[in-house]
Amino acid sequence: MSFTHLHVSTAFSAHYGVSWPEELAQAAASDGATALACTDRDGLYGTIKHLKACMAAGIDPIVGVDLAVFDDDGDHRTQVAGRVVVLARGHNNGAGYRALCRLVSDAHARTSGKAGGTVPVAVTRAELASRTLDPATLKPVLTVLIGPDSDVGKAMGGRRYLRPRTLFKQWLDAMPAGTVVAEIVSQLSAPGFPLSTAHAVRMLRLAEEHHVPAILSNAVRYCAADGAPTADVLDSARTLKSLPELAGEPLLQPTGQGWLKTAEQMLGLGKEIITAAGYGAADLKQLMAQTEALADLCRMDPTSDMGWKQPVVPEASVIGITRDPHMELIQRCHAGIGRRFPGIGGHDEKTMMARLEHELGIIRNLGFSSYFLTVAEVSRMIQDMGVRAAARGSGASSLVNYLIEVSHVNPLQHDLIFERFLSNDRATLPDIDIDVESAERHNVYRQIFERFGSERVTLMSMQNGYRARGAVRDAGMALGMDDDEVGEIAKQLWRFSARKFREALQEKPELKEFAGRVEHKDADGNQQLDLLVDLTERLDRLPRHISMHPCGVILGDATLLDRTPVQPSGLGLPMSQFDKHDMDPMGMLKLDVLGVRMQSAMAFAVREVIRLHPSKAEVVAAGRHPAGPDGRGPDYIAADGRIDLNAVPLDDEPTYELIRSTHTLGCFQIESPGQRELIGKLAPREFNDLIIDISLFRPGPMKSDMVRPFLEHRHGFAPEVYPHPDLKPVLQETHGVTVFHEQILKTFNVMTGCGLARADEFRRALGNEALETAVEEFFRREARARNYAPDVVDKVWGTLKAFGSFGFCKAHGAAFAVPTYQSAWLKAHHPEAFLAGLWEHDPGMYPKRLLVAEARRLGIPILPLDINRSQAEYRVERVEEGKDQGKLGIRLSLNGIYGLSATELKRIVAGQPYDSLADLRARSRLSKPSIRRLAQLGAFDSLHREAGGHANRADLVQHLQQLQAGKGARKGVEVLEGQLSLPLGDVELRNIKPGLPAPTLVENVRAELDLMAVDVSSHLMDSHRPLLDKLGVTTADSLLSLRNGTEVLVAGVRVATQTPPMRGGRRVVFISIDDGTGCVDSVFFHEAQESAGPLLFGTRLLLIRGTTRRTGPRGISLSASMAWDLARTATLPFPESTPHADSDGPHPLDGISRALAITGFSG
Amino acid sequence: MGMFSESIDVACSPSGQPESLTWAGRDYLVCADPVRWYERRQWWAEDARAPLGSGPGVVDHEIWRIQVLPAAGNNASEPLTLDLTRHVGSGRWRLLRIHDALRPRTA
Repeated sequence: MSFTHLHVSTAFSAHYGVSWPEELAQAAASDGATALACTDRDGLYGTIKHLKACMAAGIDPIVGVDLAVFDDDGDHRTQVAGRVVVLARGHNNGAGYRALCRLVSDAHARTSGKAGGTVPVAVTRAELASRTLDPATLKPVLTVLIGPDSDVGKAMGGRRYLRPRTLFKQWLDAMPAGTVVAEIVSQLSAPGFPLSTAHAVRMLRLAEEHHVPAILSNAVRYCAADGAPTADVLDSARTLKSLPELAGEPLLQPTGQGWLKTAEQMLGLGKEIITAAGYGAADLKQLMAQTEALADLCRMDPTSDMGWKQPVVPEASVIGITRDPHMELIQRCHAGIGRRFPGIGGHDEKTMMARLEHELGIIRNLGFSSYFLTVAEVSRMIQDMGVRAAARGSGASSLVNYLIEVSHVNPLQHDLIFERFLSNDRATLPDIDIDVESAERHNVYRQIFERFGSERVTLMSMQNGYRARGAVRDAGMALGMDDDEVGEIAKQLWRFSARKFREALQEKPELKEFAGRVEHKDADGNQQLDLLVDLTERLDRLPRHISMHPCGVILGDATLLDRTPVQPSGLGLPMSQFDKHDMDPMGMLKLDVLGVRMQSAMAFAVREVIRLHPSKAEVVAAGRHPAGPDGRGPDYIAADGRIDLNAVPLDDEPTYELIRSTHTLGCFQIESPGQRELIGKLAPREFNDLIIDISLFRPGPMKSDMVRPFLEHRHGFAPEVYPHPDLKPVLQETHGVTVFHEQILKTFNVMTGCGLARADEFRRALGNEALETAVEEFFRREARARNYAPDVVDKVWGTLKAFGSFGFCKAHGAAFAVPTYQSAWLKAHHPEAFLAGLWEHDPGMYPKRLLVAEARRLGIPILPLDINRSQAEYRVERVEEGKDQGKLGIRLSLNGIYGLSATELKRIVAGQPYDSLADLRARSRLSKPSIRRLAQLGAFDSLHREAGGHANRADLVQHLQQLQAGKGARKGVEVLEGQLSLPLGDVELRNIKPGLPAPTLVENVRAELDLMAVDVSSHLMDSHRPLLDKLGVTTADSLLSLRNGTEVLVAGVRVATQTPPMRGGRRVVFISIDDGTGCVDSVFFHEAQESAGPLLFGTRLLLIRGTTRRTGPRGISLSASMAWDLARTATLPFPESTPHADSDGPHPLDGISRALAITGFSG
Repeated sequence: MGMFSESIDVACSPSGQPESLTWAGRDYLVCADPVRWYERRQWWAEDARAPLGSGPGVVDHEIWRIQVLPAAGNNASEPLTLDLTRHVGSGRWRLLRIHDALRPRTA
């Protein structure tokens, strides 16, 4: 005997289901079930994972959804009557699945896609009824289960006899014949309560009265009884109420019986219900048989019903192609040769043509020609919009992509292998990722929808699962703990999986204090903390909600919306309920259109350059560019001064000089402390060095100690070693160290002759325990057959095994290295425009304020906020007066000032210039607090000076404050005594009475930090200087002159905190601080972490003791031994001779809570 | 209705239904079909731990409502209605409630 569960929520029913599809399918199969349903709430979020899991477990998938239904008599926009389960019928060429997809999309059509929307996810009964029949055949394709959560089920309580009957009758009247069944559920709660056997009996009788089939289910939420407490916590997270509150209402599941019970248990349950109903054995048999009959009706054929693994791309006609797509592709490739390889001939041409033939052959074989044409179309469309775009990823390995202008990396030049991207052995749609300017990403999306039609396009979604911090917060809320207390604990959880919380308590120094509290219970004997740890572990990884994937766009043909349900995204565009893992199984073509802030920053910089220097000659002079072929400058600068970044040659010496100096803050990919250390050691001289650098700075190579031998060989400290002379051509570029996937492929090929396509399959199998053994056997056998010595075979296999799984694809590295080089080029030649672009688009890992420090270091003046000169974006400006006269400076933007609204900003800019405060008020209609804030930031200082006033900024702020307090909140014109609309200058400003002391530098900096999160007037550490001198602190700019291994104290504000994976698995914490003269990168190894404890992640201002480590000719960092919180003066290690300072005096950070914006860290 | 929790010895049928019990030194026989259901526990207040793998019995416990008569004694005595609970792990029984209305007058 077997039993089929037809109502099962997986973990993908966010904040509801507990178990993963794999667990459920395995459990069902091992109990002898032949099918299992997945009916997630509100969508098909887990459906494809369920499909996969069922196929792996060898059972038939059944798919459905658990949906809310609007109350026909209530307000259709908000009132829900109950929930029903809807199952798709199978083996009808997808008619059932199609109807299910459309129905789910209907349920979301009215929602806003934004958090806190008031419209619930639900369908009307009319919508449901209309979807149950296939429009073509008018046969039923969906079955609706009326169960305990339906309006009928909910009316079972009490002694009302008629109400459930009336409601049930309404269902039968509304739905087409044969589409309704009654779902009988008992979770054995107390007699008369929801989910009790008594209610199940009533539902069973109702079904019998109306001759409607009844089926048995257990409304499953978890695979085993152990999941019940987790379900309680999820109920708490969903309703935002604590468990004690929920228990009082009572809103919790009445019992913990909702698990995937065995066939035997379900039969027992059926027996119990039938007996309680006073029915007999025949009725029990019928109940069980009807359940299996419905299951049979709903078994899905993954291939014919759901299109399993059948790639679908847009119809060629949509992109205007009428002939055979492959012929079109061949023709476009040939047309590209002239552009990409001007003047190519001889041997080079032969090699290139052979490669092209090879690629086109594979593409034709796989039938992917229209896929390439589609990607080319999108790519062309983006470039036509004037948006910077570049392909990244393994797509750069393809010559076809290079020729049809999808990628800008020449695969022949960098020796990239097509098989890493696509081969005859790999029939899944390859990924092509396109990087675009982040600021233009949404426009690009809209354009794609317009170009291909909204029936063929949808955004991809992503599942957001619980991580440690969110899990501990929600677990704490469930237990009814104090928010602040939980918040304090959450702060200390840093980069580990929630599942390992208890383990982490033993190991992590920053959790030591908390671990002690758990151990000794609370002062009041409270055991909650122990439970908190358990519940946090229970929540680990469970999906919380879906959101728009940061870059995935799904492209299909006109049937796309029959194959995926969609719901509104926050952006307004529809979003699929499927995530990236569902794409390949469902044959969906996903294009990654990734918004890259650096692309926006670079585009901005190029525009600033042209605005400041509107001719080729001026740009060449300003950027100190080479004279070029005709002496008037290089070809990549147009006559109007526009720089074509993609055409800049990759061998510019000043650019490599900048990179080697390690002053690479702001440069793409190479600005992190770890990368600055690596480029310092590696000292790149050419583009290939950048590719290698980027490929080395990955978890795999760092963990497996590939970096040190590579550097030793590169600098000639140790001789290069090759396992066998045959491998020298493969490994030469990386001095014998295996770094790239491409090298793994070639190694396989050289030693076994397996061909590159199979080699890539082998590479994919590395690290997979099940498959690796077969690969090893093959490798050893074939290599031995080719007469490689056993020790060579051993050694090479060791390398493959160790590095294969996480080496880096050289094509990725090459694609990444392009913007890296371009950003460094801009920083070397046009630093002001580049920094302005960085400020405007904030692409980096550091808080903006560190770039202010970088500008200071570069001697670029930062021009204060000015009501008449500042714009809605950062601007480069020629300084007109003062000590910096003639230099280029960067004017602060009005954007991003705390409290200043977007409309106010627009009105200020539209009304510039202003000749008085009155003029500003009248035309920009600024709110009074906004005016006061601008005054605090000094935006009126120049206006004030021009008016000839004698008061200072403090007087002005006080004056504005009085105005604000004195009169009503009305915006607009305020008349001050003696004020006339005559061109007399600003009488108001001139007449402000002086009296207050001018604000101190500390006060000004504090206002800047508070309102803009940057310290412009002076560095926020400057006011600490006397204290630091007393402590004997060394500044960042003088570190480089110190001997290796010198013990020093450094101090500064945190700007970066990283815990990269390290060799041996021991955690290393990198903390970078900025002291106003530069950045100090410090490393905390295990012992230092022990002594620093909670300071590691909890402090903004740090004092660090450590010893200097020279990392390269221009690089130095600190190996930390101890840290202090600079704000806690009493704890600091003053030299014994100096008297203690009790207090450090006022500091700009006092009372400012914007930790993330200032320190780049939300700890 | 009184609320207790005291340990009690129960003998069950092969299918797990209580048949007889010993309470306060006296033997009783179950005299009517028992009713069984599950009730929630305030596990977050009652338990110190709830780690993954705790198994069943954290969220709810099994309740049996039985009617019993003294095994030895006059047949005139009225049946007693008791709510029992069985601990998941140990299988031990505890007496939860004695229903007032049906409490024997002699007690």
